[in-house]
Amino acid sequence: MIKIISSRVGVPGEEFTPPEYTNLQALLDYGFVVDTAAKKSAKTTTDEPKD
Amino acid sequence: MATSTYLSNPALTINAVNLTDQCTSATITSVAQAQNSSAFGSLDSFFVTGMTMNTFECELFMSYAASETYATLAALVGTQTTITISPTAAGLATPTATAPKFTLANTYLESLPLINATLGELSSITLSFQGGTLTTATS
Repeated sequence: MIKIISSRVGVPGEEFTPPEYTNLQALLDYGFVVDTAAKKSAKTTTDEPKD
Repeated sequence: MATSTYLSNPALTINAVNLTDQCTSATITSVAQAQNSSAFGSLDSFFVTGMTMNTFECELFMSYAASETYATLAALVGTQTTITISPTAAGLATPTATAPKFTLANTYLESLPLINATLGELSSITLSFQGGTLTTATS
């Protein structure tokens, strides 16, 4: 999901639905919006026994 | 005396970014390029419409702060983007017959002045977008 960061593109925190022909990468690169899916870090688990 | 006038105060977005508070002039133009269809037998010139050439020109104060002019435009050079503009801020959100919203989609930005500085003056830049498809919304 793309979330709004800058008030110049909408209400911060709300989902951003890019209008047709919007250069979304430019908005991501310069921090106007953020891709929340890309921000999540992978959770790692281990089965190794503790010493 | 004109019975109805309009004090320039439009609102606009460039690539979905509202830069109204940085803009000091804006012109959107649609030109139906004239093709000369005159032929032998006539002493007058006649024209028919050729391709449509839409352009958008604006002047913006330059700012290198986050979410401002440079951040909006830097990645757009050499690409196509979308411009929206309305005579009023309200028309940008909710267009009406008396406050239409013009959308220029797939318009091309050829160049961006990276620095335009003069001693003692606020830095501003002039942009020229070329081509694209123009639509007008009134509702």
